[in-house]
Amino acid sequence: MKQEELLKNEKLERVLSPHPLSFMKYQSLCMFLIIWGIIAGWLINFSDFRGLFAGNEWYPILVWATVLLVAGIAASLVTIRWSIFFLYLVIFLGGTALMLWQNWVPASGVFIPFYMIAVSIIGFLLVEWYRRTHKYIISDQRIVFKGGISVKEERTLRYDKITDLNSKQGIIGQIFGFGTIIPISQSGFGLGSDQAFAGGGVQLGEKKAKLFGLFGGGREVQTPRARSYHELHGVHPFKEVKKIVEERVQGSVITQYQQEQVEFQKEQVDIQKQMRDLLKLQSDSKEEEKDDDNEDDEIKKIEDTVKKLKE
Amino acid sequence: MEGSAIDIVVFAPLAPLFGVLLFWFIQLLFIESQKYFLSKIRPNHEPLCRFTNFLGILFQTICHAAGYTVTKSGISDFYISVHYGKVKPKKEKKGVFEWLANSFLFMGPFFLPASLILICLFFLMSNGFTLSATTDYTFAGQMISFGSNLHSFTTNFFTFLFNLDLLHPGHFGFLLLLIFLGLGIRPSYIGEKQKKKVDMLYDLRNIKDNILHKPLYVLLLFLAAYLFFYVSLMLSQNWYSALLSIFGWLSIIAITAMFVTHLIILLIKTTDDIPGIWKFFPYISMPMSYVLIRTVFLYFPTSFTNSVSILFTIFITIIVTFLLLRSKTNKFKSKRDIKKKKKKDEKDETRRVIEE
Repeated sequence: MKQEELLKNEKLERVLSPHPLSFMKYQSLCMFLIIWGIIAGWLINFSDFRGLFAGNEWYPILVWATVLLVAGIAASLVTIRWSIFFLYLVIFLGGTALMLWQNWVPASGVFIPFYMIAVSIIGFLLVEWYRRTHKYIISDQRIVFKGGISVKEERTLRYDKITDLNSKQGIIGQIFGFGTIIPISQSGFGLGSDQAFAGGGVQLGEKKAKLFGLFGGGREVQTPRARSYHELHGVHPFKEVKKIVEERVQGSVITQYQQEQVEFQKEQVDIQKQMRDLLKLQSDSKEEEKDDDNEDDEIKKIEDTVKKLKE
Repeated sequence: MEGSAIDIVVFAPLAPLFGVLLFWFIQLLFIESQKYFLSKIRPNHEPLCRFTNFLGILFQTICHAAGYTVTKSGISDFYISVHYGKVKPKKEKKGVFEWLANSFLFMGPFFLPASLILICLFFLMSNGFTLSATTDYTFAGQMISFGSNLHSFTTNFFTFLFNLDLLHPGHFGFLLLLIFLGLGIRPSYIGEKQKKKVDMLYDLRNIKDNILHKPLYVLLLFLAAYLFFYVSLMLSQNWYSALLSIFGWLSIIAITAMFVTHLIILLIKTTDDIPGIWKFFPYISMPMSYVLIRTVFLYFPTSFTNSVSILFTIFITIIVTFLLLRSKTNKFKSKRDIKKKKKKDEKDETRRVIEE
């Protein structure tokens, strides 16, 4: 963050970006492409099953595409994101189009592994580029989230507007010491929802009388969820950052402020009490001194009279 | 059948048991040595050590859960993290069930991960699982039978290992599995503050406590083993020795896995001394040399392609590491060379300062 972007009296605490392994869900898609590319290449060219692919030049492409698309469907169903399937579909269509255009179909056994490795390298680079666009600036007054490749997104969040902090650390995060912190604002920013729906239909009777009924139900669960540039995604060192943010959030909460005020007032009362005691002590000692002086004068007077009498 | 009655009735069943105990104890020693090496590289490789700990806890927690499943206690809570794992049963069963579940927890991690590799070996190794048929049911006969079972398996297992084709996805996956098993056979610690150390004494103490807690159950287990031996004897089938030989195989697999991981940890520890990016060269040279030699063998095929390729890779890695240690550090140098290097470093430093 540039100095001029800072507010008056604002102090910068940390400038963070996500850990290189924090986008593992995207990186694993690329990893699968590499692994499947190598396995497909081995199956077609070197394995004991290579004879099966010799029958037709389209067999290797068929096997490659089937596994790729089935994996895409499985990943999409698990993550509830159809974009994975479409991504794999585009990869398949792109590869097939390239093979047809360049007449590489007979050499698909060589093309497929190289194509898959090339695509996954591009994928890894894109993920890395996306990761590098993220910047999280933690100051003593606010958190600024920045991110986005083509459209630059920025979110500024004051600590007193944070109602809740959600943090999560997966196994890879625990091993490498990074994790995600989702600050949930008063407006509910940082909350998503998981929805489940179940439905069913019944048809009774076949010929004349037909009775049809449909029933269903749904449920929604609110869950902390935000885009990677609206949360502290994969920040390292996780525990340290979490502590900083939590301390700042607690420090800006009104009850905390009130507690500080009460403590301050207590201190003031104590100081005043000490002042009073000191003043009292001072006045007492002055009176005593006065009394002592009077006594001395009297003794002197008596001594003088005794002396005079003796004379 | 030869041998005295007392030998057959009393001592013969003990022979394979002693064999299993011996190999299990060697396994314990290897685990202890591995933990020592891991502790040496911990300051520079904290994530790797956390990863090995996670694997250890994963295996341990799975064994604990398996214990509750076998005893039909059910699982109500299963939690696993890098620092500790937790399994809660649905029903808290006492007596023999509790003892069995605890036995799974304390003994399972030594054998369950190795059994995963054994399953893989069934698909990858063509032979080596033959069990000797003996008619000698004496102590010596059982010992020979146990030993020959182990020998035939070990010979085939090592032949397979030295002929691993690392360009074969199945073989490569097997090697990775072997390394993961070796690294995570037991966790190094439990708890985030790493106070509870899981060492050899910790394991032995737990097993001793479990035995002393219910000595009657151990006695029953022994009786069951004897009974199984007598049944094998009656039916003239060497099932008893065969069953315990499988435990021996598992120990051999675990020991081999730990031997491989010892080499890897040793390489990591050695390369830590090499400064800068040079430390990555031995790791790069490993796959590069393997692919290179395999490419050469593609054009000049021999009958020992796989084993020679592995040996060549190991040799190149050692040479590269040695050369880097010699050129970049003070290791493997005479006093005169060390002085020369110091002078050169000083000169470089002054030149750098002047330039700055």
